[in-house]
Amino acid sequence: MRSFRDAFGEELVRIGESKPDLVVLDVDVSTSTRTRMFATRFPRRFIQLGISEQDAVSTAAGLAVAGKIPVLAGFAMFLMRAWEQIRNTISRDNLNVKIAGTHSGFSDHVDGSSHQCLEDIALMRVLPNFTVVCPADAQATRCLLSQVVERTGPCYLRLGRDNASSIYDQEKLELGKASILADGSDVSLISCGPTLGICLEAVEELRSKGFSCLVLDLHTIKPLDDHSIVQAADTNGIVVVEEHRVQGGLGSAVAEVVSERKPARIVRIGVRDGFGTCSRRYEDLLSLHGITKESIIRAVEALMR
Amino acid sequence: MDDDFLRTVRRISDKLGGNHIYSSLSCADILRAIFHVKDKNDVVLLSKGHAAPALYAVLMEMGLIDEEEIEKAGTPSSRLQTHPERGTPGVLLSSGSLGQGLSMANGIALAAKMDGVRRRIFVVLGDGELDEGQIWEAAATTATYELNNVIAIVDRNGRQLTGPTHEIKIKEPLAGRWSAFGWRPVECSGSPEEEILRAIDLAEETGRPTVLIFRAVNVHEELQRRLWRGAC
Repeated sequence: MRSFRDAFGEELVRIGESKPDLVVLDVDVSTSTRTRMFATRFPRRFIQLGISEQDAVSTAAGLAVAGKIPVLAGFAMFLMRAWEQIRNTISRDNLNVKIAGTHSGFSDHVDGSSHQCLEDIALMRVLPNFTVVCPADAQATRCLLSQVVERTGPCYLRLGRDNASSIYDQEKLELGKASILADGSDVSLISCGPTLGICLEAVEELRSKGFSCLVLDLHTIKPLDDHSIVQAADTNGIVVVEEHRVQGGLGSAVAEVVSERKPARIVRIGVRDGFGTCSRRYEDLLSLHGITKESIIRAVEALMR
Repeated sequence: MDDDFLRTVRRISDKLGGNHIYSSLSCADILRAIFHVKDKNDVVLLSKGHAAPALYAVLMEMGLIDEEEIEKAGTPSSRLQTHPERGTPGVLLSSGSLGQGLSMANGIALAAKMDGVRRRIFVVLGDGELDEGQIWEAAATTATYELNNVIAIVDRNGRQLTGPTHEIKIKEPLAGRWSAFGWRPVECSGSPEEEILRAIDLAEETGRPTVLIFRAVNVHEELQRRLWRGAC
């Protein structure tokens, strides 16, 4: 399966079987987020709020203090309009609410710039108490979702749409601990989400050019695995790749750790400025914004020069 | 409102910066009445969080917070922040940012209905915060799920931060608005305690969510006159 949302929808149902307190909130996008599967299986534990993201977040707060485990799923972009509610209630009161932002990055390529969320990592990783997770593929989505449901406290799960790579097979990922996808000593590549697939493609080609690269899946953006980042800084430099703005995103998070703990050169690959556009092909948007295998190879070669 | 209670609200308000005495006075009797009639399992949410002095005065009267705590109110180490925070007795969710309490009430009410638990949620709204769109998103949710365990109470004091409510943004016809959203509005002129008890019965009978509208326009002016005159 190469779909984040299918994996998310299926896993929610699976978790729901053994967790009677799990409830799912929708803002009239359940067909898109795949929470429709949960609604069909557990209609009494599915709450439709209509197109009302702010209402949905505060309603989730009420459900959480009443002992439920609310999972609110919606398009990442439109959940961000309720950032203040998330900040002032879910984060401040440290509530056990899970927020899943689907269609993040350029994954909603057809709908264009209004729907393409390039800012959610920046907005969510600054919130106290929050765990912020961005799985690389379907298997990681299933594995990390079940872990964030087990962990009491607020969580933001950043998901794409159907743009998942195939990174993991049956491996278990550990929340809060970066996964090493390739070992190497020349340059470190750090990424999260679907761009890890591009990193692995680049690593193949770099290997044939004689470069060995460490590849880290930093799926947990908060709390950050500082230890793994510091180790990555032992190479000749770090290239961070993300389907997000370079300002405030994963690259910034890595740079914060590296500059304080072990200064090293960092190249950030991501959206530099401006907005997306609609595109018939997802990959075309990545190319337009320089999130490509070629950019990574160039960055690694520059660091090795 | 008796002079002792009025004095307490004012004293707490002074410790919290004194910016919202007007808003605290207009809902003090309402909050007091809710805490008198509520069952142990019921929840009170002060959506208009800036009226915290009134809430703290009620909690003090009930013996849930003591004089020593009131003395420290508004300091960094005190639970009694200028706007109510979770962890304070009687405060299930923090407020301070306006327009969000009704959604929270709905969440608690939905959970109670799912679990078959008898629990009423009283949510006190300011008339000014009705400017927030989220209130009306939430009002539609309450009606959609027929949450008759939510009792909303609007403190219609006619004022918001920078002027009379009708000059800032129109609020009327207020009962008509709630009615159009599927609620049962009740214009209140009697004692808050009686009105709230009646509303509880009404909600059970009709199965619809009920909103009480307390028009306190003159009440708080009279209270303020008493305050400034030095009667208290």
